[in-house]
Amino acid sequence: MPLLTVTDLTKDFGGLRAVSRLSFDAEPGEILGLIGPNGAGKTTVFNLVTGFLRPSAGRILLEGRSVVGLRPHAITRRGIARTFQVVKPFPRLSVRENVTLAAFSHEAARRRAETLAAQILERVGLQDKLGSLAADLTLGEQKRLEIARALATDPGLLLLDEPMGGLNPREVNAACALVEQIRADGVSVILVEHVMKAIMRISNRIVVIHHGEKIADGPPERVVNDPGVIAAYLGTRVV
Amino acid sequence: MTRGAAGAAVLVLVLVPPLLTSNPFLLHLAITVLLWTLLGAAWNLLGGFAGQVSFGHSTFFGVGAYTTMILYLKGGLAPWYGMALGGIVAVLVSLPIGLICFRLRGPYFSLSTLAVAEIVRLVALNWEGLTNGPVGLLITTLPRVAWGGRILDWESKVPFYYMIATFALASMLATYRLSRARLGAYLLAIREDEDAAESVGIDTVRAKVLTLALSAFFTGLGGGFYGLYFRYVDPDAVFPIALSVEMVFIAVVGGLATVIGPVIGAVFLTTIGEMFRERFLVGHLIFYGLFMMLVIRYLPEGIWGGARRAWAKRP
Repeated sequence: MPLLTVTDLTKDFGGLRAVSRLSFDAEPGEILGLIGPNGAGKTTVFNLVTGFLRPSAGRILLEGRSVVGLRPHAITRRGIARTFQVVKPFPRLSVRENVTLAAFSHEAARRRAETLAAQILERVGLQDKLGSLAADLTLGEQKRLEIARALATDPGLLLLDEPMGGLNPREVNAACALVEQIRADGVSVILVEHVMKAIMRISNRIVVIHHGEKIADGPPERVVNDPGVIAAYLGTRVV
Repeated sequence: MTRGAAGAAVLVLVLVPPLLTSNPFLLHLAITVLLWTLLGAAWNLLGGFAGQVSFGHSTFFGVGAYTTMILYLKGGLAPWYGMALGGIVAVLVSLPIGLICFRLRGPYFSLSTLAVAEIVRLVALNWEGLTNGPVGLLITTLPRVAWGGRILDWESKVPFYYMIATFALASMLATYRLSRARLGAYLLAIREDEDAAESVGIDTVRAKVLTLALSAFFTGLGGGFYGLYFRYVDPDAVFPIALSVEMVFIAVVGGLATVIGPVIGAVFLTTIGEMFRERFLVGHLIFYGLFMMLVIRYLPEGIWGGARRAWAKRP
């Protein structure tokens, strides 16, 4: 059974159809790339799956159970965690506290939650920043902090919204390694990303959306050579 | 055990004044400070920790005051029970308000609380059967109470002093406990970023509604005390916007999300308010406002917050 099943997902903002009858699955243990030109509806899909937006129509099943209509915190507790395209750390709280708050979702005792947070921060390479304020981190560090925070909720599925946007090439490499490590630890990942080199390298499968509709779904090398995908990104030749 | 020592010091500071002076003006000033401490601390629970700026806390104050007065005057219920019930009724009133207003965020939330407070004030003004409307409610005699074999003297200020001191300490203790609890951590997360808080599994609406209820309880208690102490309430006295704003000022000037802040805020604003009133008969509020602006400009974390920071930075 797929981990996540999205069927005929539709979202209208007034007269604008941001997502249109979109269907895709995410299998356990895979990294699924979700790509498309700017404004294609990728972030909207994330907001729908995590409960920040309510679908106009369609179904979203996590391990066969619907999550439509649940508030975001309840969906997190069901096992879907996310990061944000524009980072949203808790700026005036310490790095450790940022992650401890997330660990509280399944670990009520503060001391154990803090230990857990420290372990996860080590996994993302922020073990030297425990006491810093989140606001004082670099963008790359803040993105890793968000991943740590999402992991601390103990998810089965992690939705990463442009975790590599704005990072330098070395940071991108580190981020790729981190995402692969997360999958190796048994967490499935859906990745929205514009850094094509990264997404080609680490995705098992790629779903391409354009104007809210799915235009391709398959292994990376097949998807990038798909004429429809090339047309969506570059336009069709006129002369 | 510095925490125990601090607690003992606070207790002594609070218990001793009536033994040193029987000057009614000084006791009245102390009672005023403690009442504002209670109200500032109550507002601080929601505004300081959760960052939800309410401009409508006079609602809970007025509801507490009227509950106490009405139960005593029309139901014959002794006002000390009435005060507790005033807090509880304020909690009940807070629940629908929270569920409605917390759908809004930031300034929209603040404006909605202002609107609710105005609605409640107008209801109190016009529901004459219950509230006596603009005429208000007056207590002429308080019931006789014996405490430790002595009849309490309601004309003296001492019993009121101990009553409000207990409430103020309770509100500070509640603040301290909240700051140590998981709910307190959740509130700080909500203050920092509500979406992010939801995304890590925090039920933000539940956390905010619970905190508003706690805040309303202490505010309602303060309202009940006000009714009992002044023996008179009318809508302009207990439902004004100025009251809500004063609560905000005390928490902000003292230091948001701190235990001690509201005491400092209450001491400063009460004494400075009195001082300006004495000096400048006309326009004393201008200077009061100027003082507020200076504090907010140069001590954005409030007096206690700023002092704590300076202490932490000492060489």
